[in-house]
Amino acid sequence: MWQARLSYLLRRFAHGLPIVLAIVVVNFFLVRLAPGDAATVLAGEAGAATAQYMEQIRAQFGLDQPLYVQFLSYMKNILVFDMGYSFRHGRTVASLIFERLWATLLLMGTAMAISTGIGVLLGALAARYDRKPLGFAIVLFAIVSYATPLFWVGLMLIIVFALNLGWFPTSGIATIGADTGGLGHVLDVAHHLVLPALTLSFFYMALYTRLMRASMLETLRMDFVTTARAKGVAEGRVVRRHVLRNAILPVLTMAGVQVSGMLGGSVIVESVFGWPGLGLLAFESLAARDLNLLLGIFFLSSLLVVATNALIDLAYTLVDPRIELAGRSKRND
Amino acid sequence: MALRILTRRSWLGLTGAAAVALLAAPGVHAAETPKHGGTLIITTTPEPSLITNALSSAPTTAEVATKIFDGLLEYDMDLEPVPSLATGWEVSDDGKAVTFHLREGVRWHDGKPFTSADVQFSLLQVVKEYHPRGPGNLGPIAAIDTPDEHTVVVRLVHPYPPMMKGLSSLEAPIVPRHIYEGTDYRNNPAVNEPVGTGPFRFVSWEKGNYIELARNEDYWREGRPYLDRLIFRFIADSATRAAAIESGEVHVATFGTINPVEMRRLEGLDHVEIAAGGYEALAPVMLLELNNKQPPLDDKRVRQAIAYALDRDFIVDNIWYGFGKPAVGPISSVHEGAGLYTEEGIRRYDVEDRIERANALLDEAGHPRGSDGMRFTIVHDPAPFGEDWRRMGEYIKQALKRVGIGVEIRNRDYPTYVRQVHNEYDFNMTSSWYVGMADPTLGVQRQYWSKNINADVAFNNTARYSNPEADRLWEAAQVEMDPAKRATLFHDLQRILTEDSPNIWLMEMGLVAVQNSKVEDLITSPLGVRGGLYDTWLDQ
Repeated sequence: MWQARLSYLLRRFAHGLPIVLAIVVVNFFLVRLAPGDAATVLAGEAGAATAQYMEQIRAQFGLDQPLYVQFLSYMKNILVFDMGYSFRHGRTVASLIFERLWATLLLMGTAMAISTGIGVLLGALAARYDRKPLGFAIVLFAIVSYATPLFWVGLMLIIVFALNLGWFPTSGIATIGADTGGLGHVLDVAHHLVLPALTLSFFYMALYTRLMRASMLETLRMDFVTTARAKGVAEGRVVRRHVLRNAILPVLTMAGVQVSGMLGGSVIVESVFGWPGLGLLAFESLAARDLNLLLGIFFLSSLLVVATNALIDLAYTLVDPRIELAGRSKRND
Repeated sequence: MALRILTRRSWLGLTGAAAVALLAAPGVHAAETPKHGGTLIITTTPEPSLITNALSSAPTTAEVATKIFDGLLEYDMDLEPVPSLATGWEVSDDGKAVTFHLREGVRWHDGKPFTSADVQFSLLQVVKEYHPRGPGNLGPIAAIDTPDEHTVVVRLVHPYPPMMKGLSSLEAPIVPRHIYEGTDYRNNPAVNEPVGTGPFRFVSWEKGNYIELARNEDYWREGRPYLDRLIFRFIADSATRAAAIESGEVHVATFGTINPVEMRRLEGLDHVEIAAGGYEALAPVMLLELNNKQPPLDDKRVRQAIAYALDRDFIVDNIWYGFGKPAVGPISSVHEGAGLYTEEGIRRYDVEDRIERANALLDEAGHPRGSDGMRFTIVHDPAPFGEDWRRMGEYIKQALKRVGIGVEIRNRDYPTYVRQVHNEYDFNMTSSWYVGMADPTLGVQRQYWSKNINADVAFNNTARYSNPEADRLWEAAQVEMDPAKRATLFHDLQRILTEDSPNIWLMEMGLVAVQNSKVEDLITSPLGVRGGLYDTWLDQ
């Protein structure tokens, strides 16, 4: 079984390779369709520039080279996982991305855990108490939170919990320069994490609640549930043993899709809470036409998407042993 | 009397003038004794791409770098030079040689001594070549001699009085030769871990988060700076920056980081105030740039009509919440003290009957109102600097409709905007602002001198205004050594420019910062938060 899983994974990665390459090629040309270049932006920020300054910058960035030369050198580098250099930041793209990766993973990971956990619970409750006050309340809550703009939620949390109550800091990832040491630092970061993670969870939680509820209701109508009840199995046990395990599959799929997007982070939440993550980096690099950096983030994201899809398929076999990997997989890309 | 110093043969003696500058500085709390210690947290936006301002004039780059580097000179509130790394200076009779006497015993943050070779290298090989305003500030420098370790003689091709106004740490920071010489400056790692002689030394930069500077224990100004640490925090969202000021997590927010309407709200809080002043050496002017080469704005009468149609008081009070004052011409009134500014004989656009005049001019220019009351439609590109600029665009649209000009507003992202408007001249009217700097030749000239029409370089003479008489006056002002005659040249320029109305000047901007009340002496120079902040202290 494990051997089958391993060979399946390898096969999936082999299939993913051409996809990633195609994405890299398309991205390379796509980002260059946007008008204006990094030199224009730098000169604009400077407020005044000479022709010589512009030439210096373009030459330094390689923008004066023909497009095909830029393309060939980019492809050559990417094949050995060299994502290049961000001239704007004066650093390698890899160092910029990895420096901020953990902040994004921490925020997204926490938000995913909170939102799937609470979302599944609320969804299950809403299905169990369908057409009852509790069910209605949960559905209403889900709709409202789904429809509320994230930046507004963030700002409201800041006003209430940071300004009025003073329980949490307004922004940032840690108290600057507070030399608190190991555990102190962890607590400090956790303290800063609460509001942004809650804000981001709010949106996903609504999604999972609704998904879980719909899936539960569908499963509850299935024949095997009727059979189980007819056998005289207690209602709680029917829900836990028979319904929940089946109903959770769509949530898993959805979570998988979202994990793929994790690397992109959340521009809005990172921006509102001054969280130094990748989403903001991607956004800023787009606005500054820092194309190497932007392409680097796209490249990593595409790798992550391919890898997560394969892993999610694998996870199915763990949750539901009836799904097989051999031959044709149930979910082909 | 702006150029008093240049006309004197010798101007030594103010060796201890840093103290004089300090005493002269306005400050409500001047009577209190400064306290040492503490960490000052400043928020600014956007995060700079590099923090060595010898290579870039980006505003946030300068905000950080001016704490790390010194210039040869600083300026008092009348924009007169006072000593910094140079303790004294003399200008030769023909105006073509300026001798600077350098401070002795100054050390770089890495412990190496500061000498005349550093000055020679910085001005000639770094700032003049790489700073976007370097050619303007230092252009006529032909050579720099270093007769000894503490003397430099700057040799000019022709007399260039404005140079003495462009030698601050903002415009011409002195960088260490031993670190940069023989390297590719922009790729030198020191660009983002700078070594200077300034009041604070670089500690760390967490990208996307903050930059930390610490007190330079070895600073040449005795007992300064007062602060132990200086932190620049980067928060992407304007509302959160306001919240961070409100909660006290951040002490100072530079201009442009918080919306004017929020600034007025914060000002009402007990622990927050507006730090007035501190932008005089920048002389910022907000304006509408017009495409002078394309109908209908190639007609002077149409440009004048638009200038008449706009109510500057309304713009200042309702769009910018009073952070500024109405502008009447291209040169800011901060130059009034130096005698370079005039209102005499200029065309005023804020007259009582301005709407009638606008209508008459448009009729005369051959743009009668159609059946719908409209004459023609132009496109307006608000500067992509935020919602306030878009709101101003909406006001302009309404104001021009009253004189029969339709306005279509086009919002673009920053790089697209720069390319389309400033590089390709595909525009009618755009809002923008420029820094006039401590002398009109250094800042204002580039908007109106025909030699500064260059499609490759954004934010130059974007209007493509070209008038031989104006060119002659700008060029004469570059070399005129007699302050009175030079002032007359600028007065004539203001008359010509307000008459031609190549651009429409809206507001002399007040680039004020928002600060926590426990921050004392934040603004002690005309550079404000773009100065060294060595006099700033925390009352805690």
